[in-house]
Amino acid sequence: MTPRIALLGNPNTGKSTLFNRLCGMRTKTANFPGSTVAHQVGRCITKTGQEFDLIDLPGIYSLLLELPESRLCSECLEGRIGDGRPDGALVVLDANNLTRNLQFAASALRRGLPTVIAINMADLAERRGLVIDEHAASEVLGVPVIATSARTGQGMDRLLDALTKTALQSRVPKPPQPYPATEPGSTTSALWAAETFSQIAAHPARTDSAEMTIHDRLDAAFTHPLLGILCFAFMMALLFASIYWLAQFPMDAVDSIFAWVGSAVAAAIPAGTLQDLLVNGIVGGVSATVVFLPQIVLLFFLLALLEDSGYLARAAFAVDRTMRRFGLPGQAFMPLLSSHACALPGIMATRLIPDQRDRLATIFIAPFMSCSARVPVYALLTGILFAGRPLAAGMAFTACYLLGALAGLATAALLRKTILRGPTAPMMLELPDYRLPSVPAAFKIAVDRGLIFLKNAGSVILAIAIVMWWLSAYPKSPSSAECASLEARAVEVQVADPEAAEALRAQASRIDEREQQAGSFAGQLGGLFEPAFAPIGLDRQLTVAVLTSFLAREVFTTTVFVLTGAGHDADGEDSGTLERVRTATRDGGLPLFTLPTSASLLVFFVLAMQCLPTLVVVARETGSWKWAVMQFVYMTAVAYGAAFLTYRLMT
Amino acid sequence: MAKSPLKIPLTQLGRGQRATVECSALDALPSEHRCLLAAMGLGEKCEVRVCRAGTPCIIQIDQTRLGLPRDIAERIMVTPLEPNGS
Repeated sequence: MTPRIALLGNPNTGKSTLFNRLCGMRTKTANFPGSTVAHQVGRCITKTGQEFDLIDLPGIYSLLLELPESRLCSECLEGRIGDGRPDGALVVLDANNLTRNLQFAASALRRGLPTVIAINMADLAERRGLVIDEHAASEVLGVPVIATSARTGQGMDRLLDALTKTALQSRVPKPPQPYPATEPGSTTSALWAAETFSQIAAHPARTDSAEMTIHDRLDAAFTHPLLGILCFAFMMALLFASIYWLAQFPMDAVDSIFAWVGSAVAAAIPAGTLQDLLVNGIVGGVSATVVFLPQIVLLFFLLALLEDSGYLARAAFAVDRTMRRFGLPGQAFMPLLSSHACALPGIMATRLIPDQRDRLATIFIAPFMSCSARVPVYALLTGILFAGRPLAAGMAFTACYLLGALAGLATAALLRKTILRGPTAPMMLELPDYRLPSVPAAFKIAVDRGLIFLKNAGSVILAIAIVMWWLSAYPKSPSSAECASLEARAVEVQVADPEAAEALRAQASRIDEREQQAGSFAGQLGGLFEPAFAPIGLDRQLTVAVLTSFLAREVFTTTVFVLTGAGHDADGEDSGTLERVRTATRDGGLPLFTLPTSASLLVFFVLAMQCLPTLVVVARETGSWKWAVMQFVYMTAVAYGAAFLTYRLMT
Repeated sequence: MAKSPLKIPLTQLGRGQRATVECSALDALPSEHRCLLAAMGLGEKCEVRVCRAGTPCIIQIDQTRLGLPRDIAERIMVTPLEPNGS
């Protein structure tokens, strides 16, 4: 079995950069069984060809804190989770904060694992006037100590050598004096660290007063109640504008690739059930989700750059005051903002929130934020509601975003007064130094997040697509007399007027499609559930559209276009198609989209939880289905109630 | 290094002022916050410098900067150093 080495350290020590430097792209994201805290595992190969796995544990300040990350690191070192006790540990210290970091190292060394210490960011410390005596440090600490710079690659070969000699040969720490028996921060531990520091550092760090003044001024600006918020709003506007602008090119490319795959499959396989399943079920269904991949990758890439620059920690303080009024900490802002692109990465980003109640409240309200999957629905319904009045339609569009955000914040306030009662945890954050962000590190984070998203698309979403295809394709209904008559007329006029014949055939095809939908299991379900949705103004066809959208809300537009016989152009750009939807009728001849129905549907879509992948991720992140089910029931009830009120007020 | 004998809340220090954190300085805080702050470097006998007074209160310990909300900062008792006392 390949030896395993745990990688430990305080946050902001450059631990992940070191991990990436040692393992390159030979990494994968994993969860310990029964845990929601993700970690990365990478394969290291030394110059002599020896291999070992490096387990990148979360950055923590102490192994004994009552925080999920601290417990996980402690349990990993003790072998209570994962594949038993690791064969060794690599402890990363920040050369610029040695007094504090040495205390953490001592508590890790007390665990008795063969250990190597990397004093990272040694190049920055040297520039500040600190010279580290590696030999003295190794003597005092009883384990090999290497000064490194993960950014420049300094000390990497020697670090790998030390790991091979120590961890892989089971050399346990042998200090001349015992390590302090108390945890970091205690008097004994602090005194030991001060004494050790004086023995291993040749000169104390020189204070650069000019640099500190610039830092002070930037900190004051970025955390200022007004200026800080304005800076943050500007940064976020820039971030989202970049995402929407830059993502459109790869999104078009993804769309084209899936269209090409669909055509290739259709050409290779004879028409029939298998072709229909592959083209419309699998390729079509998965492409509807994978098309959002560029947005997600870009979002995480840009967020990683912002985080690495040191800005995000300051921004969290700028918004903390406002968020706190609703019972949420400042750290909740970033996940909620991410949820405007897609709730999945937003919910995954809540791992930054240390307090469990704060985190649960944020996860619970994240799907209220208007994600990009709602955009086609908003565009369709505001277009119908305010036909020919683009300004009013635009304002209604904005109001949808506001309604979602307000409903989320009100829900958070409600949760913190009921089932998640308790004070919002105060935000105590280390503010890392400002620096030029690392593009390769941000790229790697974005790729990792993208792969997680694709894994979801390849499993849950693929299954949904197949089930949806089956429900809407079966049972097959025989062609109606109306279709047969149109087909017959098309044959009659084929020679005299080929264009008219083509139009007749298209009409017959649309009618047949509509009848197939009505007769399918999905259509039958629509009939069954119609009485439940009638109070908010929906008929059988719209009930089918809403029911299918419970799995993924963007399905709504496609279903509406197919059901109304408006063709397959679901992007709403074709005015003729939109016109057909606007003038479509119900079974009894009444208009399908009356004003009250459109308004009630719009409110329903703003507030309802209609995304199965989100529910799956909520269950995974919270560790049980309880929260996912509660979220689904609550949001559906709120959406239904609000849609009912809207419908009644407008009728 | 002359020290004022007076212990005051951290929030009463101005920007650029330095102070030492004394024993029992964090006693007014709940244990989970005390433990976290201690592990973050705000331990006994450490010297702090105020980078930003107000909300949040930003302090520097060694080369580490910590941001603290006002309600936490005002419960941390420190002994101010002379303006040029560092």
